[in-house]
Amino acid sequence: MPAEEKKEVKGTTISRRQFFKQAGAVSAAVAAAAASSVIAPEEAEARTTFAEFFQNNYRLMTDEEKKEAIARLEQRHSEEYGKKVTVDGSPAMKDVLFGYALNIQKCIGCRRCVYACVKENNQSRHDTEIQWIRVIRMEKGNFTVDDMDKGYPNSPNESFGIQVGGNAYKNAGVALEGQHYYQPERVPEKDAFYFPVQCMQCEKPPCVKVCPVRTTYRDPDGIVVIDYNWCIGCRMCMGACPYWARRFNWGDPNLPAEEMNPKTHYLGNRPRMRGVVEKCTFCLQRTRKGRYPACVEVCPVGARKFGNLLDPESEVRKILDRKKVFRLKADMNTYPKFFYFID
Amino acid sequence: MKIKKITKVTFGALVAGTVIFGIGHFQTQAQQEQPAQQAAATATVTECFESREGYTARSRVENVVPEYGYPNIKCSQTTGGVLWWGDPYDDTIPMGDMPDIDDITKGDYLTEDAVIKPREPQLNYFNMDPDKHCVMCHDGKAVPFPKDKKPRMITMHQDIVEDSMELMHGEGAIWCLDCHNATNRNTLIDHRGKEISFNQPQKLCGKCHGVEYRHWRMGIHGKRIGSWIAGGKKRWWVCTECHNPHTVQTNRFQPLKPEPAPALPKGMKNADHESVHAPSAAGHGEATPAAMH
Ligand code: SF4
Ligand code: SF4
Repeated sequence: MPAEEKKEVKGTTISRRQFFKQAGAVSAAVAAAAASSVIAPEEAEARTTFAEFFQNNYRLMTDEEKKEAIARLEQRHSEEYGKKVTVDGSPAMKDVLFGYALNIQKCIGCRRCVYACVKENNQSRHDTEIQWIRVIRMEKGNFTVDDMDKGYPNSPNESFGIQVGGNAYKNAGVALEGQHYYQPERVPEKDAFYFPVQCMQCEKPPCVKVCPVRTTYRDPDGIVVIDYNWCIGCRMCMGACPYWARRFNWGDPNLPAEEMNPKTHYLGNRPRMRGVVEKCTFCLQRTRKGRYPACVEVCPVGARKFGNLLDPESEVRKILDRKKVFRLKADMNTYPKFFYFID
Repeated sequence: MKIKKITKVTFGALVAGTVIFGIGHFQTQAQQEQPAQQAAATATVTECFESREGYTARSRVENVVPEYGYPNIKCSQTTGGVLWWGDPYDDTIPMGDMPDIDDITKGDYLTEDAVIKPREPQLNYFNMDPDKHCVMCHDGKAVPFPKDKKPRMITMHQDIVEDSMELMHGEGAIWCLDCHNATNRNTLIDHRGKEISFNQPQKLCGKCHGVEYRHWRMGIHGKRIGSWIAGGKKRWWVCTECHNPHTVQTNRFQPLKPEPAPALPKGMKNADHESVHAPSAAGHGEATPAAMH
């Protein structure tokens, strides 16, 4: 392999997508290396990357292959971030189906959950900023005579109401159009409530149905996971998800080493690469070890509840038994395991 | 094994095919290192509060979980709130005995599995005596014990209750000494004269707020961190860590500063298209030009 090309390979972590992109420059060398399995011994890092590229879909790997893949990642990330990084491969716990419940009457819209999630799950901090939770502010609307039969302002049909009552900019009753970028001095505000949305871990997940390479799938504990290495970045799942829960790494994630959470899971919060999709996993690196998700812990008003849907003694089940519960877009037949409730 | 080989061969073919479309886009390390330096340049906030501002202060302690180099907590850099717990049980003690009220919990909190952060150390009102706390002044001599619970004007502690005649907890039906122990100000007292520790306010609050108390005991009201498993070790937040009993009538939960809004999508200059909903806006025609495309 010529010296110049070698340098490029060493300085970069290659995902499958990047690999395709770089193929123009190094494909000949790679193809040769792969075919003959001849790699100079000093190219340990490069070899790691090649091995990572040629690994199987995580779900189809043998236990041995999984172990190897995890060891490769631990080594690479430990070097990259200058600290000991662990990559867990724990499978789903037996007789556990994870469920979530959120009290929209309690939520004050403080967005702490959004940032707890980012601290825990190693999202890209900026350019592109990736957050798995969105908190939508919604106004309590009202009915006034003045707003009757008003159409889109400044439109040719100004004086005609669009056929929903109220008008497009000031709905009658509760305004279901949400605000993402609200920034008041203090929350909660009067006349507003807040509606956090994240991956619902659907029992019938449309995102899984559309994935052409089957890299996103439902694990037995009900968590919809992604093998980032196998993701080709086609973003079909993003289009299929009715909850706008998935995020795409448009560039290499910007994750400062000192902010990197070194306790990771292969299917969860391990660092992602450019060109792959990611989303909430209910913090499976924590929950499969018995710990609450980070967003549950951080919520200052205790609006977030989590537990095992198969255990009648769990917090979620007690909520389902006693509180008024609904699921978002239940009509989509996605069967989310994320429930909203009020007291 | 055979299937795997085929996969690899298929990949080889794909790779070869991609040569035609090869873009040859290379990423440099320099780009990745820049943000790390930026982050290090800004001073780190290490003092923050958990739920109730001004009452649940925490300081960040480094390397509390050496295995991962975790601190006990991570603070928000913008609002002074705790954002993440490295060790959920840091600085906690067992909740202590709880009455069996014949609910599904059977009062089973005696084990170390239910822990709380003690409230008693917070009694350092004027920081005059680390052990005597309130009794330092309220000893019956310097400040005589009050003879009855009748509301009267109080000239001290206006920072806690601005006007003691206007204390609205219980909509005027109860007053300071219905909860604070007249003869031992370091404790609370219930309506039957039973002394209650500041560490266990739930035993007092629950006397009136029965539904909340039961739901709290069940784990469906209030906040816990630690293990999600039923019966697993949890740190429980007690009533006063979220609610301020002196102002709860005005705000069940004292409003706080929200974390920053997400970054605007590339090319979007502002979020005015959202703000036209402001309830103060009279009528409907406030759409800005930005909102029109
Ligand atoms: S919420 Fe969206 S991403 Fe999550 S499982 Fe359902 S369809 Fe998939
Ligand atoms: S942390 Fe809790 S209160 Fe704050 S926005 Fe999230 S769910 Fe709502």
